Amino acid sequence: MSGLTRRGFLGAAGGAVAATGLAACAGTGSDSSGKGGKGGGESNTIDFWSNHPGTSTATEKKIIAEFEKKYPDLKVKLTDAGKDYEEVGQKFNAALAGGNLPDVIVASDVTWFNFALNNRFTDIDALFKKEGLSTDDYVEGLYGDYEYQGKHYAIPYARSTVLFYYNKDAFKKAGLPDRSPKSWDEFTQWAPKLQAAMGGGKHALILDDGADYLDWTFQSIAWSYGGGYSKGWKTTFSDPKTIKAATVLSDWGKKGWVKTSADSASDFGAGLGGVLLESTGDLGGFKELPFELGVGFVPAPGGVKCCPTGGAGLAIPEGLSAKRKANAAKFLEFLTNAQSTVTFTQATGYMPVRKSALKLPAEVAYLKKNPNFKVAVDQLPKTRPQDNARVFVPGGGATIGQALDKIIAGANVESTMKGLDKTITKAYESQVKPKLKA
Amino acid sequence: MTASSDASSVAPRSGPSAPVGPPPRRSGRPYGEWLLAAGLLLPNLVLLVIFTYRPLVDNFRLSFTDWNIAAPVAHYIGFENYKTWWHDPNSHEVLRNTLIFTVCAVGISMVLGLALAILLDQKLRGRNLVRSAIFAPFVISGAAVGIAFQFVFDPNFGMLRDLFHRIGIQVPDFYQRPGWALVMVTTTYVWKNLGYTFVIYLAALQGRRADLDEAAEIDGASAWRRFHKVLLPQLRPTTFFLSITVLLNSVQVFDIINVETRGGPQGYGTTTLVYQVYRETFVNSKAGYGATIATIMFVILLIITVIQVRVMDRGMHRD
Repeated sequence: MSGLTRRGFLGAAGGAVAATGLAACAGTGSDSSGKGGKGGGESNTIDFWSNHPGTSTATEKKIIAEFEKKYPDLKVKLTDAGKDYEEVGQKFNAALAGGNLPDVIVASDVTWFNFALNNRFTDIDALFKKEGLSTDDYVEGLYGDYEYQGKHYAIPYARSTVLFYYNKDAFKKAGLPDRSPKSWDEFTQWAPKLQAAMGGGKHALILDDGADYLDWTFQSIAWSYGGGYSKGWKTTFSDPKTIKAATVLSDWGKKGWVKTSADSASDFGAGLGGVLLESTGDLGGFKELPFELGVGFVPAPGGVKCCPTGGAGLAIPEGLSAKRKANAAKFLEFLTNAQSTVTFTQATGYMPVRKSALKLPAEVAYLKKNPNFKVAVDQLPKTRPQDNARVFVPGGGATIGQALDKIIAGANVESTMKGLDKTITKAYESQVKPKLKA
Repeated sequence: MTASSDASSVAPRSGPSAPVGPPPRRSGRPYGEWLLAAGLLLPNLVLLVIFTYRPLVDNFRLSFTDWNIAAPVAHYIGFENYKTWWHDPNSHEVLRNTLIFTVCAVGISMVLGLALAILLDQKLRGRNLVRSAIFAPFVISGAAVGIAFQFVFDPNFGMLRDLFHRIGIQVPDFYQRPGWALVMVTTTYVWKNLGYTFVIYLAALQGRRADLDEAAEIDGASAWRRFHKVLLPQLRPTTFFLSITVLLNSVQVFDIINVETRGGPQGYGTTTLVYQVYRETFVNSKAGYGATIATIMFVILLIITVIQVRVMDRGMHRD
């Protein structure tokens, strides 16, 4: 073990450098054609990679069974591709290098763009046209979220918006009106009363933590103050209006009114918070709560659109054979047709992605019987697409979430937001901008 | 048979060399042995080259590129990634976390492992059961342990909350405070891996020379002196082996961090070097930058291991 001489070490290091030089001629290990080693087969089995958004495994299996009944020559393999959207994206990244590509994949608002930018997803418009399928019935705003340079790279599936959930019992105890606040300033006035009504160890507001989706939910708060993460590709974290929103968040943290959590919906469901800012997709899980649930629009002072859309769509990888793409398109269309949309949305709480689904008698009756679900649908016209800094810059959402975590914990707001401006701009310039020009 | 014929049939009794059979090579081993050794080693060497050294070289090469993991091509950018890492304040936090976590994990698990091994080397009732209980967590997956420990550390529902509540102390928020989160992750890691150091030390204790300890005891040496001057030197090779393997394993911890904190809270609260590799590569899609951090981690570990080998080697020779 003691035989490592200086000469030996230098020799080994020289060898490593030489080997590196030789290897520099090689590729990345990822197939540049986008086909992957086994991506181009003729299989009649459709491999569907999903994280089962909104605990939808049983619902997805049900819709798959109906699909297989309609198309007996096709089979669908439902693959557990991760516990959240990010893990599905990571698994797909590995598949790009390894070659075993799925036929259909759940792609979130944050993950789809990087794959589209690098030519890893199929142009849905062209494929649907070729297969004689139509995209006209999808809700325009939700379908438009997947547009890049005039082409769409996914179709909407488990689409959500941010909702304002509140504990009606706690609101009543605090003497607050039975509604969501008109602005976050109004909430700030309510917060001490709500905090007192909740009692020790509990909080007026529960938010996702930065490792989850705080960057998504806080976007609506930033918008309500006229700020945001970016305008086009220019970041606006240092904009005084965004700073104002972040300062409000910081103050809530300092006063102990807000708690962040990796599982905010469960914490809220357990009665640990008076208000929860979360996805419509959590609505389906709020069935047996120890308190009466209230659901409202997110605060939008002055009628400004302050609600971000979110959730996930379905994409087809580039590089599959024409036959596999055709089968995948059939499945995509079936999984999101009006009837499947009704089945899926009623089980999970996600928004209907088909305009015609809202007119089906079953959906009309359901929304009448479940007014909380109707709130999400009614809020849809008040939504707006998310800022590029979060959804189109690789790692943008995660980076913003980390900064917001620090702000809640007491970090200086201005310097943290300025840091975000630098970090996100650098990521955009190195990873997105060169490809946009190309 | 004559005396002279007897003499010719046996090896000479003296003389510098009196070879019998073909002359050996300069190294003193015949070709046959070399061929046999090469044949036996070759399959493993091939596997090592394919699955260890080639990825290592490939990783080093990618560290000089801007590879986005979803992109089919990568561009050479020189030392840009290394400069970025060096000037990024998060990198300093990550290095600090890695250092604290590794020192605590290695130190605590070795000290506790040795203490438990000495205790359970005694003739105690039920010691086999306790030995099994200590070793069992080592074979459980890190992800499962991480999930199980959420029931211990969760500030709302965890066992610690109950215990602290009984003595009138508010439990720290292990998930939102970086310092406490690091304590949680380290504790979980030590609990899971304590069985490894324990069982290796136990095996070493059972193979030690008991007569030395008895002689020291007869000579009137105190318990501490017997431990310090007689037992520890005998355990030096084991301590050396453990210090390297535990260090390498603890630097590479991923599963527990991913399940318990995902590298947070507040950004990089429990992010270690290996977790930063994952985060940059798979979360931020910057595979080239991730390769840079992996290379830096490799170099740091190589330097530490070489220093460990040198220090231990000197210690052995001194003994």
